[in-house]
Amino acid sequence: MSQNGNKKAFYPDYLPFVLVAALIAVEAIIASALLFPPRIGPAIDLTAPYQPKPEWYFLWIYQLLRYFPGSWAIFGTVLLPALLILSFIFMPYIDRGPRGRKKSLLVGIVLFTSLAVLTLIPVLTGR
Amino acid sequence: MIRRIINLLDRWFGTKEAHRNFLARALPGKIGVSYCLGGMAFTAFLVSVLTGLLLSIYYVPSGTEAYPSIVTLHNEVWFGWGIRSIHKWSANFLIIFVALHAVRVFLHKAYRPPRELNWMAGALGFVLIMASGFTGYLLPWDQKAYWATVVGTSMAKTVPGAGGLLVRLLRGGPEVAGATLVRFYSMHVLWIPFGLMLIFWTHFHMVKRQGISGGL
Repeated sequence: MSQNGNKKAFYPDYLPFVLVAALIAVEAIIASALLFPPRIGPAIDLTAPYQPKPEWYFLWIYQLLRYFPGSWAIFGTVLLPALLILSFIFMPYIDRGPRGRKKSLLVGIVLFTSLAVLTLIPVLTGR
Repeated sequence: MIRRIINLLDRWFGTKEAHRNFLARALPGKIGVSYCLGGMAFTAFLVSVLTGLLLSIYYVPSGTEAYPSIVTLHNEVWFGWGIRSIHKWSANFLIIFVALHAVRVFLHKAYRPPRELNWMAGALGFVLIMASGFTGYLLPWDQKAYWATVVGTSMAKTVPGAGGLLVRLLRGGPEVAGATLVRFYSMHVLWIPFGLMLIFWTHFHMVKRQGISGGL
C-alpha cells in the first residue's frame, strides 16, 4: 500500500511524537488563555439593539450575506454555504474518473480561497 | 500493582489484544509532523470537554440566571475566569487544528477509497464542531451573544415556505428568549458532544482498520 517501503510501528516509533504534539497543543491553548482572557460583556438590553459580529470562524457567512441583499438573501444564508459544506463532505466523490484529482483540486482550491478571502475581508476592513 | 490491574482488565475485557493492534499497527516509514494535526485536534477537543464539565458546575442555563452565574463564575470562583478562557481558546484551536488536519489529508489524497467514509465522518465532525461554536456563543447570555443569535437564527427566515417554522424550531418560540437558551444549552452540552464522540469513535476505528495512507 505504501510506496515508502520500510514500515514503522505506531509504538514505539511514532507515539512519542504524537504525545509531544499533544503537549504543544495544550500549552498553546493555556498560554493563549492566560494572555488573552475573555471579558464579561454588558447585560442584554432589548432597547439598544446593536450590530453583532460573529466569531472569526463564522465571518465568511457574515461577509457572504452582504453580497445578497433583499430577495437574493437565500444565496448567502443557505444555498452557497450548503454548496460549500456539501462539496467538502463529498470530496471523495468529486475525485472520480481519470481527471478526478484535477476536479477535486479545483474544488478544494476554490473552497479554501473563498473561505480565506471572505474571512479576511471583514478582519482587515474591521467592519 | 499497576501490572495486576492491567492483567485483570485484560482477563475481563481482552484489552491487551485490542491495544496491541492499535499500538503495533504498521505505519509508512516516512511521515512528517503534519500527521500529528489530527491528534492535536483531538487533544483540543479533550481540553474543551474537561473545561466544559468544570464550567457546567457553576453555569445556570436560564434566562434570568445565566448572566449572573457567569459573572459569579468569572469574578468570584477561584480560577473561574481561567477555566472560561481555556474553554474558549480550546474551541479556537480545535477549529484551527481540524482545518489544518483536513488540508493535510486533502493534499495527501488520503480521502480516496477505501477511506472515503472516514473523510466524510471527519467532515461531518467539522460541521458539528462549528455548530458547537454557534450554540456555545449564546450561553454567556450578554448583549453580544443575544444579538449574534438573533441575527444567526433569523437567517433561517430566508428559506422559502419553511422559513418561519425553521426559525421557531431554532428559537423555541418567535423571539430569542429563555427557551432558546435552554435549547442551545442542550445542544451544546448533550446532543453535539454525544454526536462528536460517536463520530470520533468511528473515525479512529477506521484509522486503525485501514491504516494511514502512504502520503504523496
